[in-house]
Amino acid sequence: MAGSETNLQDVTSIDQRLAGLMFPIGFLYIWLIRPVARTVYLALYLPVGIIRIYESILENLPWAVGTLVTNPTGLFSPVFLKRVRKFKTLRRGYLSFLILSIGYGTSFLSELLVNDRALVVHYEGETYFPAFADKKYRNKDFGITKGSFRLTDFRELKTQIDEENAEKREANGGKPAPGENYVILPPYPYGPNENLLGLLEGNPPHSPSRHHWLGTDDRGRDVFARLVYGFRISVSFGLLVTLFSYFIGIIMGGCLGYYGGRVDMLGLRLVEIWSAIPFLYAVMILAAILIPSFGLLALILSIFGWMGITYYVRGEFLREKSRDYVAAATSIGLSDGTIIFKHILPNSLTPVISFAPFAILTNIISLVSLDFLGFGLPPPTPSWGELLGQGLSNLDKPWLVFSPMTALFITLLLISFIGEATREAFDPKVYSRLR
Amino acid sequence: MPNEILRVENLQTYFNTEAGVAWAVDGVGFTLYENEVLGIVGESGSGKSVTALSILKLIPNPPGFIHGGQIFFKGEDLISQDYERIRKIRGREISMIFQEPMTSLNPVFTIADQVAEAVQIHHKASRWEARERAAEILELVGIPDVRARLDDYPHQFSGGMRQRVMIAMALVLRPSILIADEPTTALDVTIQAQILELMLKLKEETQGSIILITHDMAVVAEMCNRVVVMYCGRVQEIGTVDEIFHESKHPYTRGLLKSLPDPRNKKPRLATIPGMVPSILDLPKGCSFADRCPDRMARCEKSMPPLLDVGKEHMVRCFLYEEGKAHPVTAKTDSSFEAASNESPATGDPTQPITMEDKA
Repeated sequence: MAGSETNLQDVTSIDQRLAGLMFPIGFLYIWLIRPVARTVYLALYLPVGIIRIYESILENLPWAVGTLVTNPTGLFSPVFLKRVRKFKTLRRGYLSFLILSIGYGTSFLSELLVNDRALVVHYEGETYFPAFADKKYRNKDFGITKGSFRLTDFRELKTQIDEENAEKREANGGKPAPGENYVILPPYPYGPNENLLGLLEGNPPHSPSRHHWLGTDDRGRDVFARLVYGFRISVSFGLLVTLFSYFIGIIMGGCLGYYGGRVDMLGLRLVEIWSAIPFLYAVMILAAILIPSFGLLALILSIFGWMGITYYVRGEFLREKSRDYVAAATSIGLSDGTIIFKHILPNSLTPVISFAPFAILTNIISLVSLDFLGFGLPPPTPSWGELLGQGLSNLDKPWLVFSPMTALFITLLLISFIGEATREAFDPKVYSRLR
Repeated sequence: MPNEILRVENLQTYFNTEAGVAWAVDGVGFTLYENEVLGIVGESGSGKSVTALSILKLIPNPPGFIHGGQIFFKGEDLISQDYERIRKIRGREISMIFQEPMTSLNPVFTIADQVAEAVQIHHKASRWEARERAAEILELVGIPDVRARLDDYPHQFSGGMRQRVMIAMALVLRPSILIADEPTTALDVTIQAQILELMLKLKEETQGSIILITHDMAVVAEMCNRVVVMYCGRVQEIGTVDEIFHESKHPYTRGLLKSLPDPRNKKPRLATIPGMVPSILDLPKGCSFADRCPDRMARCEKSMPPLLDVGKEHMVRCFLYEEGKAHPVTAKTDSSFEAASNESPATGDPTQPITMEDKA
């Protein structure tokens, strides 16, 4: 009796062991083998798809350019134009938009407004435009013998020439002499990368004064000038990274949503894996290996920052692709790429446009934080993050912290107002709350 | 016999669903001749639209796929053609109109752009030439004041006008086949009549053929030369419109015709076909209509009846018409459907009373 019982137990335990073995095999099959097999299958198809999409972008380029020339508003649907009108009625956002775009537009004139190089120098019958010239002017060019190979300090030159003119006028009986030399300086005659240690007394950072509105940083450079140039760099960077990352994100999201099925399953996993890479560390490592220029840093940030919009575009495409107009477009023989980019994309731009301001904002913050940590743009690029970093090590010099903080705060606030208004303009409901 | 332009043979289009493979279309075959209107009728889910979409390979894959069969268009098998070839055929040789005019036009493009697009793609025409072609065809489909409306957007048009634009879009390249998938279902009845008339007029002008998919027997009677009756993804009966309406053989066709409302008949209740359509996930082994058929025989549930010739071009999938039983008693079919209604009908010509005006 005892023996048979043992046998029975043995049999059960073999069953259990078998079951125990089967479970991991089944698990492996479902979670590992099958997805890998599908991945390989898909990988074979991916290049074909990419080529087709590339072809159709080329195909549609003449159309877009043609429309832009003959009928510029034709590129935008009446619904879009209506939203633009709605945006204009949202006063806070529209005002922020005007201020920021005027400010950004003006920042391209920074060289004329904030610069240590003179706009015009008229010397001995010849006219020079140092602010626009690549040539570096040296003292000998303007007849200064002292330190003749040093770069010209145009402020000094102006004082000197003005003094000479005054002497000549005195000799001439108060009348200006013909063929006078003159120097026209920009309104704020200090450059962002100019070392003012020779000009100012004491150790840097210097506190704000009449000539240097926000003082100087720890290398004796004018903080205001650096802020102005930093604004242009920050906003351009935000725009560029948003453009790059949206380009990648829209193509990815569009293809995932449009093709669906296996492409979607696999593509989303890739996106998830890519999102799991810690963004800041990856950028820091890359920035340490490569010496990042403005464009390269923008590219690196885009490569790690396109995933967010992909999900939204994919969702829009999943909804839009089942609309009848897509079937109608397919039935007249349009290619996949034409359908994705010409027919569905314009109908799926709502998340893209309403997220764009916030993306610009995020990218500006990313640049500031990278600069703050020292992994951003290479010195001596004027940057807000670097100024903040200086402020941290010079806590007793408050202007070093407050000026970039204020500039950053105002810029980000304006962009968020724009973003808020855009979101509201694209909201199909008239009121965002029940009233 | 006119020339054959499209021949569908044993088409099988299946869909993968979570509950299993759905046999949406299973072994459908028919022939389309030049310059004719072929109607495909059947109730919802009978595979009419899937058949039409299969012809242009528009089946969304996944979940759908064409499992087998051939579709010969001018002697060329469309099923085995690659994507590029199919794209060249779509719009230029075979085009399609969809059911819902409100959503079939892209809201962000002007109608001129949408109609012209096919010309630009297929004929490599310039934007301006394509626009001219679009204006011509839009005038032909009866858009009033075309030149002023070319740059209007779809939302500025009414449903009927949009369906006209859809027709213009489908016909701008003068395709030899126009597939109309319930083109008038979403329109009101007067507009329906106008659109159908327009399609017939354009068919005469372009010398093309039309495949008209509908569940409206009145539209079929009005428009078609020949009719395919589908049920559960299979062809149940094919014949000329007269044969289908006057000498219908299949119990399902007879049931369908019986259940049409007849304005001359003051019956309080409409005749119906008893029972339910079987699920396409779980089709019976034998005839799919067996459950609901008044003439059901024991063998109907065991094996699938083949398509049998009962006339020159008239075929029916029913065991009642096998060799040696050429003229079976059909009275049983009629009476059993009428059992659902309490009055005896004075059925005359079924095509006659159900015209557009009557329906309105």
